[in-house]
Amino acid sequence: MSEAFEIMKWPLVACLLLPGILVYFGLHIVKREIIFVDLALAQVAAFGICVAILLGHDSHDWQTTAWSGALTFVGAALLALTRPSGKRIPQEALIGIVYVVAAAASFLLLSRSPEGNEELRRTLVGEVLLVRPGEVLRTFALFVAVGAVHLVFRRQFVLLSFDPERGRSQGLRLWWWDFLFYVLFGVVVTSFVRMGGVLLVFSYLIIPAVCANLLATTLRLQLAVGWAIATLASIGGLYGSYRLDLPTGAAIVCALGVTLLLTGLWKGARHIAGQ
Amino acid sequence: MTRQSLSLLCFFVVACQQACAADKLTVVATTADFGAIARDIGGDRVQVSVLAQPGEDAHFVTPKPSYIAKLAKADVLIEGGAELEIGWLPPLLDGARNPKLAAGQPCHVSCAEGLALLEVPTTLDRAKGDIHAMGNPHFMTDPLNARHAAERICAAFAAADPPNAAGYRERLNAFTNRLDAKLIAWQKQLEPFRGRRLVAFHNSWPYFAARFGLKIHIFLEPKPGIPPSPAHLADVVAAMKAEDITVVIVEPHQNRKTGEMVAAKTGARLLDFTQYPGGVKGTEAGYIELLDYLVNTLAEALAKSGTSKEERP
Repeated sequence: MSEAFEIMKWPLVACLLLPGILVYFGLHIVKREIIFVDLALAQVAAFGICVAILLGHDSHDWQTTAWSGALTFVGAALLALTRPSGKRIPQEALIGIVYVVAAAASFLLLSRSPEGNEELRRTLVGEVLLVRPGEVLRTFALFVAVGAVHLVFRRQFVLLSFDPERGRSQGLRLWWWDFLFYVLFGVVVTSFVRMGGVLLVFSYLIIPAVCANLLATTLRLQLAVGWAIATLASIGGLYGSYRLDLPTGAAIVCALGVTLLLTGLWKGARHIAGQ
Repeated sequence: MTRQSLSLLCFFVVACQQACAADKLTVVATTADFGAIARDIGGDRVQVSVLAQPGEDAHFVTPKPSYIAKLAKADVLIEGGAELEIGWLPPLLDGARNPKLAAGQPCHVSCAEGLALLEVPTTLDRAKGDIHAMGNPHFMTDPLNARHAAERICAAFAAADPPNAAGYRERLNAFTNRLDAKLIAWQKQLEPFRGRRLVAFHNSWPYFAARFGLKIHIFLEPKPGIPPSPAHLADVVAAMKAEDITVVIVEPHQNRKTGEMVAAKTGARLLDFTQYPGGVKGTEAGYIELLDYLVNTLAEALAKSGTSKEERP
């Protein structure tokens, strides 16, 4: 057991500290019904990494972060500008397009780069197993800062996602808050994609939030449930990855999937029992 | 039997297994070719495990927790070096924190050390593709380089386990004698085909080609590590027709369909090659058996496909 801990220590620290803010963002995203926005932004971030790699930077260089961040910023602005006013074109369509085009563009770029296939796989499933301690702590500090902004402006952000009409009537400048929301979200997604890959980011955002919506109604309670579920699934996934010797990121994604299945079954059973 | 006595028995069995295992050298090899030679030299004195699957690309290995565990417990690590494993081994070693395997330690064997590698670039330019600063790292396809690797592995075993050093040297001699005899036979077998040209997917065969007097200079990849593009494949097909090349070799981790397409367009034969014992069926037994397979299949394909257009029916 001590050996397991020794090997999985930093992945465990990363998976306990970092998903906290992802779960919180996930609740916003699920409420706004823009589920694939994170997949799109994560892919745009990954596209930025690909651009940097093609320019000859290493995936750990600051230039890579800059490229990734700048492109995510552009993506965020695009998404904020297109907050649906009419219903003629659902925003989901645009989000899907951003995802697919960013993915295809990454593919094109990496076909010109040696180790392209390897990088493509890395942007998808990441390398949580090999996280560096410094990387985890830096990312955590960043997430704390983003969390602080959200804490300070929680009234605005909550109104924005959960009751935009009332926000508008109170004179909230929706466009500006939307943009800030997406930028902060982009920062979080960008830094986590480099560690965990697109699949893991999506899973940490959406799965705990969906479970929380199944089990709780108030935002506070949903956050608590989401965090508990993310923690459980992280530990389960890491343990499974160690015991069965599986790639770590994909194991956590599957563990999160299993948690959702169990939550659904439990909810269903309670529903039947209630009748 | 009571539960207590049963668990006591289990405890003794496990304890004995651990004691016996501790007696042996724990060896980790990055790829199956080094693993096979380590088994040949270590015999029953060593416990060898291999990280990369034989069908996997040794440049890119998906890290798994067990790799770190194995490295943490290993007495000896055998790697190819020359940047073959640079993308994945260093972070795993960082995670394992095994002082015995630190770079430069006698128990961290880098088999390329002491070899004159081919294709050492004069300038480093990423635009040329996946270029290795130290030269082409696929040196094990030349049996003489495998001999060098075997000597280095033997030296590391002798240093890690001095009481059994004589035994390791004896087994090294047996291996090199067998290899030397085989090399003469392989050279004789391929001699009729001296100067023949082949197409490969990736530039992993210059050492093999140099040893056996072949030319493997056209690749399905436009640059090392860059996937084949339609225009490049058209050039390859044209060059194969112009130079009358009748054999294409692919490895398990490479896209066989590309090879099939080119072979179909040119009437060439597609051969399943591998650098690692176990990468292709029939090569599992060891390094010498792997070379046997490569030489046999190649000689057969070259013999069946003629040497020039006039000789073909």
